[in-house]
Amino acid sequence: MDSLVLILTVPFVFGVIMFFMPLQFKLLQKLHIVFSVIVSTLLLSAVGKVVNAEELSLFHNYIFLDSLGAIFLSLIAITGLLVNVYATTYMKWELEDGHIDIKEVKNYFALSFIFTWTMSLSVLCNNIAFMWAAIEATTLASVFLVAVKKDKKSTESGYKYIVLCSIGLAFALYATILLFSAANGKISGEAMLYTNLLANAENIDGMALKLVFIFALIGFGTKAGLAPTHTWLPDVHAEGPAPTSALLSGVLLKCAMLGLIRYYAIVANGVGFDFVQTVMIVSGTLTLFIAAFFLIRQHNVKRMFAYHSVAHMGVIAFGLGVGGAIGLFAALFHCAAHSFTKALAFCSTGNIARIYGTKDMTKMGGMIRIAPLTAVLFGIAICSLVGVPGFAIFVSEFLIFKAAAIGEQYLLMGIFAVALAIIFIADFSHFFLATFGKVEGEVVHNSEMKLGENLPLIALAILIVTFGVWQFDSFTFLLDESVKSIMKK
Amino acid sequence: MANIIDIVAVLMMVTSFAVFSLRQYRHSILAYASQTLLLVIIFLALYFKYGTHELLIWAGTAFVIKVLFVPLYLFRLVKKLGLVVEDEPVGGFFISPVVALSFSLAVAMMLYKVFIHFSLFQDVLPLFAASFIFMMGIFGFVLRNSFLKQILSYCLFENGIHLSLALMAYSSHELVEIGILTDAIFAVVIMSVLAKRFYAAYGSLDTSKAVNLRG
Repeated sequence: MDSLVLILTVPFVFGVIMFFMPLQFKLLQKLHIVFSVIVSTLLLSAVGKVVNAEELSLFHNYIFLDSLGAIFLSLIAITGLLVNVYATTYMKWELEDGHIDIKEVKNYFALSFIFTWTMSLSVLCNNIAFMWAAIEATTLASVFLVAVKKDKKSTESGYKYIVLCSIGLAFALYATILLFSAANGKISGEAMLYTNLLANAENIDGMALKLVFIFALIGFGTKAGLAPTHTWLPDVHAEGPAPTSALLSGVLLKCAMLGLIRYYAIVANGVGFDFVQTVMIVSGTLTLFIAAFFLIRQHNVKRMFAYHSVAHMGVIAFGLGVGGAIGLFAALFHCAAHSFTKALAFCSTGNIARIYGTKDMTKMGGMIRIAPLTAVLFGIAICSLVGVPGFAIFVSEFLIFKAAAIGEQYLLMGIFAVALAIIFIADFSHFFLATFGKVEGEVVHNSEMKLGENLPLIALAILIVTFGVWQFDSFTFLLDESVKSIMKK
Repeated sequence: MANIIDIVAVLMMVTSFAVFSLRQYRHSILAYASQTLLLVIIFLALYFKYGTHELLIWAGTAFVIKVLFVPLYLFRLVKKLGLVVEDEPVGGFFISPVVALSFSLAVAMMLYKVFIHFSLFQDVLPLFAASFIFMMGIFGFVLRNSFLKQILSYCLFENGIHLSLALMAYSSHELVEIGILTDAIFAVVIMSVLAKRFYAAYGSLDTSKAVNLRG
């Protein structure tokens, strides 16, 4: 059967099967892992075909997989698998501690497959209206992954998530309708298809394209966590279970960013790169500094990482703003680097919350003695997040500096350096607070997690380091091809 | 035909203001149902004018989903929670509609001038109405504190977008409309489930009480 057909059916079917499973944790746990492995294998096999230069499309090209989509599909496959495996451990702890019941665990596992299905669909849509519908569906599928419990805080986070993302995505839908209307009859072929729109972008009305991009930035930018419409993100990431935060930050934000990148490509080729780059620089700078300001004030470890997500979406926007082949390459590489890093960061907060029974870093301390492996994994996530050389995020941030230097954009280099310096200081002060010194609060679980429980985190840490020091030819091929497709070279 | 569409578009603007401003939930939902019925009439009018088959399908699906299903679902929610009058909006019951009305008119004045460049339907008033309704929906989210009013605001801006689609691109594939409508149904249902939870947790649908996560 066609790879794309399998991708579009199997996760959904697995989600439905999970809903009807008996309420036995061991069975649910095993099924969740097996199903996750199958889904990730399917996704990666499709990515492999793109690397081998195969063209994948379905339903009159409404569904397709290009090199750009393949990058994001591989994030859903790899980050998604590791987080889903960790989720089985996390849910076991939540169940043991009585924070959640078995029915809620079953629903959580089932919904996580529906969520994976919607994210995969959003990446595979060539039809821009379907892409919007799929991105909106990711919100709907993940609301109850965030609002797992029925208490005030959980309900509030679910409310903010669905309401703010829906408002934002309304603008994205308007952008979709406007783009179709502006292109309809002016370009050859169906005006709803991204590939046609990109190929004929220069024939579309320039004023319409500029309005479309502003609407798309508000819409997809809200979902991706770009300032000033990022306000849902810290609340939702901080309140949801650790694996949900890891999935939202590691994968979902990138799917929304892919939507924006597709509009960036069409509009840039229609009205010129200067317009989109200027808009993205403004958006990226604003996002970076707002996130940096709030980062310094945070003591809740999950909230701190949530503001990091905002900051790194700002970095991606900044990379798109600096532009050029290297800037675009860096922005796309950053999507992958941040995905692995943030998944590790949020999963390690699951361990940390188990050790201290709190997310408040001022009540932690001495983690290096209580749980040395968790402390090291937490440290790797922090090192990568602040861009220490040898870790994945350093590569993309360095490339953004390089792209700015080549383009003689020295002011942008300075702005970027100042923002990163603030983030660096904020992060390490928080890291030292939690990891070293004496324990300030109480210790609920006074030992390291089992090795098996930490395996997904170790795998993520290995990915972060290898992507920081090694160049994977197949991944670089996808990045290069994506940059070429955006720049139409 | 253009005159009928103009008249119906103006009535849609009036009903969007009613959805936003009416304090009683039942009246507000009824205003929304009426507005969607007017939208269906525009679809049919455009169908008779241009003979585009897709518009007939849009009219049918919009009638079933948005004139019947969504209002009935919301009526059920109101009944189940025993709700009558909405909570005090931002700026009060008088200021809030004035702000929404004036800003929506201002934004619509700017947007329709861009839309007319590439719209298939080249009549000013309906294009103006489409942006106005969209903006009323957005302001509904921003200014009304009631969760239910925010759900209705979602429906409102969805109607604005639907009208834009019909005017500017009525030749688009019916699958597009079905995809968007499916999302809309799920969004209304999921928001309603959350609204029930919200009511259970906070004892009202006043979202200004949701301040536990700030920082």
